[in-house]
Amino acid sequence: MNYVKLFAKRASLFQLSELYIRNNVAMMALFRHRHLIISRTMASDSVTRFDFLVIGGGSGGLAGARRAAELGATAAVIESHKLGGTCVNVGCVPKKVMWNTAVHAEFLHDHADYGFQGGSVQFSWPSIKNKRDAYISRLNQIYRNNLDKAKIETILGNAVFTDDPEPTVEVNGKKYTAPHILISTGGRPIVLSDKEVPGASLGITSDGFFELESLPKRTVVVGAGYIAVELAGILSTLGSATSILIRQGVVLRNFDSLISSNCTKELQNSGIELWKNTQVKSVSKTEKGLEVTVVTRDQEEEEEAKISTIREVDCLLWAIGREANTDGLNLKKLGVKQDEKGNIVVDEFQNTSRQGIYAVGDVCGKALLTPVAIAAGRKLAHRLFEGKAESKVDYSNIPTVVFSHPPIGTVGLTEEEAIEKRGKENVKTYTTSFSPMYHALTTRKTQCVMKLVCVGKEEKVVGLHMQGIGCDEMLQGFAVAVKMGATKADFDGTIAIHPTSSEELVTMR
Amino acid sequence: MTPEGSFHSNNMAAFCKGRSRFKRVLLQQTLIRNLSGKFDYDLVVIGGGSGGLACSKEAAQFGKKVAVLDYVEPSPKGTKWGLGGTCVNVGCIPKKLMHQSALLGTAVKDARKYGWNIPTPVSLDWATMAEAVQNHVRSLNWGHRVQLQDKKVQYLNVKGSLVDEHTIRGVSKAGKETIMTAENIVIATGMRPKFPADVPGAAEHGISSDDLFWLKESPGKTLVVGASYVALECAGFLTGVGLDTTVMVRSIALRGFDQQMAGLVTDYMDSYGTKFSWNCIPKKVEKLASGALQVTWDDAGPRGENRETFDSVLWAIGRAAETGMLNLEKIGVALQKESGKIILADNEASTVPNIYAIGDIGKDRPELTPVAIKAGKLLARRLFGASRELMNYDNIATTVFTPLEYGCVGLSEEEAERRHGKDGIEVYHAFYKPLEFIVAERDASQCYIKVVCLREGDQPILGLHFTGPNAGEVTQGFALGFQCGATYRHLLETVGIHPTCAEEIIKLNITKRSGLDATVTGC
Repeated sequence: MNYVKLFAKRASLFQLSELYIRNNVAMMALFRHRHLIISRTMASDSVTRFDFLVIGGGSGGLAGARRAAELGATAAVIESHKLGGTCVNVGCVPKKVMWNTAVHAEFLHDHADYGFQGGSVQFSWPSIKNKRDAYISRLNQIYRNNLDKAKIETILGNAVFTDDPEPTVEVNGKKYTAPHILISTGGRPIVLSDKEVPGASLGITSDGFFELESLPKRTVVVGAGYIAVELAGILSTLGSATSILIRQGVVLRNFDSLISSNCTKELQNSGIELWKNTQVKSVSKTEKGLEVTVVTRDQEEEEEAKISTIREVDCLLWAIGREANTDGLNLKKLGVKQDEKGNIVVDEFQNTSRQGIYAVGDVCGKALLTPVAIAAGRKLAHRLFEGKAESKVDYSNIPTVVFSHPPIGTVGLTEEEAIEKRGKENVKTYTTSFSPMYHALTTRKTQCVMKLVCVGKEEKVVGLHMQGIGCDEMLQGFAVAVKMGATKADFDGTIAIHPTSSEELVTMR
Repeated sequence: MTPEGSFHSNNMAAFCKGRSRFKRVLLQQTLIRNLSGKFDYDLVVIGGGSGGLACSKEAAQFGKKVAVLDYVEPSPKGTKWGLGGTCVNVGCIPKKLMHQSALLGTAVKDARKYGWNIPTPVSLDWATMAEAVQNHVRSLNWGHRVQLQDKKVQYLNVKGSLVDEHTIRGVSKAGKETIMTAENIVIATGMRPKFPADVPGAAEHGISSDDLFWLKESPGKTLVVGASYVALECAGFLTGVGLDTTVMVRSIALRGFDQQMAGLVTDYMDSYGTKFSWNCIPKKVEKLASGALQVTWDDAGPRGENRETFDSVLWAIGRAAETGMLNLEKIGVALQKESGKIILADNEASTVPNIYAIGDIGKDRPELTPVAIKAGKLLARRLFGASRELMNYDNIATTVFTPLEYGCVGLSEEEAERRHGKDGIEVYHAFYKPLEFIVAERDASQCYIKVVCLREGDQPILGLHFTGPNAGEVTQGFALGFQCGATYRHLLETVGIHPTCAEEIIKLNITKRSGLDATVTGC
C-alpha cells in the first residue's frame, strides 16, 4: 500500500473540493475526507483504511467499487479467485458462448433446407474451450485494468472478518478497514454430500461444466431450474446424449405455466430424455463410466417407486440450486444476520443487520442476476458517496432470459401470481403460438409462444412471457415499457416491425 | 332482386354479350341502386395486399358484404404471383427469407471459429433456396385465399377500375368484364418498382425486386442500381449468398434515415464484400452476344465514363404508384401530380368521400406493411364498427434487413437537430461488441447504438437507432416504450438482460457532446 501516493491523491481532491464544490453533499464529503486524513495519520500501521472496502470482485462488487471511486471514494476490492465473479468466469458469459456454439449446430442442421451444400461437419470441443478460456482471461485482465485505472486497490486472497471492535477484514495476514464494507461474495452451486446421495461427488456442477475438456458422450443433468435447462440444452444440441432428471412433472416451475410446459415440451422435442418425478438414489463408478441409480415415483398417482439405472454416463451434472458464499467470512461474530439458507439478510437499501456493512448480489439470495447486482452496487455507491439517501434498486419487473433452445424471455408477474395478487376476475391474458418465419424453410421446427398478463380495467400489462427464436433480444425494450406501466392499448397502438417475431406482441387479440 | 342476384346476372350478362351490354347493365344497375338504395357490396377493396386484405377481413367481421379484387399485372420481365401483394410475394417475406439464408452463410464462417470443423467449402445453390422460398410464398397465397373464404370475403381475380363513385368494373385475365357496385370503395393497389425512362436497355434487360425473388436460376454477378433500403437489402443478401454484387449509388444511401446510421450500414456491407460505386449514374445497358449485360455509366469523379459487364442488372431506384389505370381522376379522386399518389384526409378518405385509400398508394403514407394493415383495420372499424379511432402515423418503427440489420424509431439525429437545435438535444451513443462476434472474431466497428433525447428534464427520447444482429427483434419493444413516451431516465431505470445486445441500449451513458470514447468495455 503506497501511502504517499494516496496522500497525494487526497491532497489534490482536497484542493479541488475547496475550489469548486458548493453544495452540501459535497461539503459533507469534504469533512469526511478531512476526518479520514486525521484518522489515517493516527491509525496503526497494521490496518489499511479505505472509504469503501468491497469483498468479492464479481459483477456487483466491481460495479459498486468503480462507482464509489468515480464519486471520489478510495476503494479496494478483495477477490479470492478471479476478477469478474460468477458471470464472467463460470456463468453468463461462458454459458452464452456455449449457447452460441450450440445455436451454430442448429444452423448447420438447417443449412440444407436453406439451399446450402457442403460436407459433413464435426465439432471440436477443445477448440471452443480454448477460445472461451482465452476470452475470459482477457476479460479478467480488462477488469483488472479497469480497477487500476480507477485507482482501486485489488487485494487477492480470502477475506475474514476479525474480532476487532471496528469491522475489520484480514487478508493474507494484513488488516483492512473502512466505514463502509460491502459483501458481494456471490454464490456457488449446491453440492450434495455422499451421505445424502452415495457417490454424489462423482458428479460435477456448472462450475465443472466449464472445465470439461471434451464433449461428454452421455450426460445426465439433475435439476429443473434454468441452469439445468440451459446446460442440458447446450450439451444435447452439441451432440451429447442427454437425460434430464426432474423431481416433478415440468421444468422451470417458478415460471409462468405456459413457459414451463412449453419449455418441457421443447426439451423433449430437441431429443433430450426427460425423467419426470425422478431423483438420484446413488451413483457408482464402473469401467465404462458412471452408473446413476434413480428412483421414479409419481406422487399424485401414488404409484410404487420404480428404481432404474442409467449406465455408461460420462458426465453427471448437478444443477439443483445455488447457495450463498459466506463460509469463512466469520459473519456470525460480526452480527450480520443470515437466513436459514445462509443468505445475508438485507433491507431494500442493501443494509445488513450490522451498521456499515452492506451486501449485494447473489449472496443475498434474491434475483440472482448480474445486472441486478450491478445496479445494486451502483445504487449503494450513490447512496453512500453522493448523499442520495433514496438510492436503491427496484426489484419489481426485472427482465430475465433463459438461454434454452429456443430462448425464454420473461418480465413481471406470472399469470398465477397476478391472479393471486389481483383476483381472477381482474386478470386477463392474451396468448399466441406460432411457428417463426425462420422455420418456414426448415424441417426442424420450434414453436414461439407468448403471453401477456394484464390486470384491471385499463389492462395494464404486468407480465410478459415468451419462448421462441429471438426472444432473448426481444425482451429488453418490452421490459422498459412494462416498467413504465404500458397497457394493452399501448401495445395495440404500437406499429409492428415486419417481418419479425416480436411484432406478434403488439398485434395480439 | 337481391344484391347477390344482381351481381350474378351482371356477371352472366357481361360474359354472354360482351362489351356491348356494358352500358345497359350499368344503367340498370344505377336504376336498381337508386330505387332500393342498395349496393352489391357494402365494401369493395381494390388490391389484395397487406392493407386490402386486412381491411376487407375486418369489415367482414362486422357482418358486411365485402369483396376484394386482386390482379397482378406481370412485371416487364413477365413475373407474376398470387394473392397477398408486395409484402408476401415480392417484398418483406421472400426478402427476409433470403436475408436469413445469407445470414446462415455468415454463420458457416462463424461456426468454424466456434469449433465446428467444416471440411469442404460450403456454397449456396440458388435454385434450391429460391424454390424453398417460392414454395413458402405459394403456401401463404393459399393461406390468404382460405382466410378470405373463412371470413366470407368474396375474392375476385380481376383488375378493378372505377366507373363512378359507387361502381367498379373488373376485368379478368381472359378479358371478361364484371360490374359491381359498392357503398364504400377502398383503393389499396400499392406500388411497383420503377425503371428509369432515360437509360436505354434498362427495362428491356434489367430486372426489379418484382423478379428477383422468383428467379429460378442464380442472377449471377449483379449490379444493383439505387441505394434505397430495397437496393441495400437485395445487394446484401446477394453478397451473402456468394454473388459478386455491386451497388451503384447516385448520391446518398438510405435517404430519409439517419445518415450516420446509413453510413454504418453501407460500411459494414463494404467490409462484407458488397462493392459500391458512389456518385455514378447509369447511361445505358446493352446485351452482348455472350448474353452478358454491359452497363455504361458516368462517374462524377475523375473516372468519367465507365463500363462493366454483369449477368443481371437490378433496378431499385424507387417505386411508383400505379393509379393511372384506376380511372380515379375522372370520377373526382384527386391525385398528387408528380407521384400519382392519392391525396387523403386523416380518415383515409380521398376527395370523393366514400372512396378511401390505404397503404403505399396514399400520399405521405409510410410504405410499410404493418402500417397498411393497421390503417386498413382501423378504417373498417370506423366504417362499420362505430369506431372513431384514426390511424396514428407517428412513432413508426422500422428495420432494414441489411447484412448488419438496422432498426429505428422516431427522429434521425439530423431531424431532431433541425427541430430542436444542436443545444436542445442530447445524444447518447455506444459502439458495442456483440458477444456473438467475439469468438467469431468478427469486426464489430459498425455495431452502434444511438438514442437521441431532448436535453431537458428526464430527457424524452426523440429517436432510437440500433445496428446489430436481430435489430428487428430488438427494436420492437423499444418502439412500444417510445409510444409510451419513454425518457432516457426510463432506460436507466430498467434492469439489463445479460448478456444480450439489447441491454447495451439501457446501459448507454456516454453523450456525443462529451466527446468521450463511446466504446463499451467489459460487462
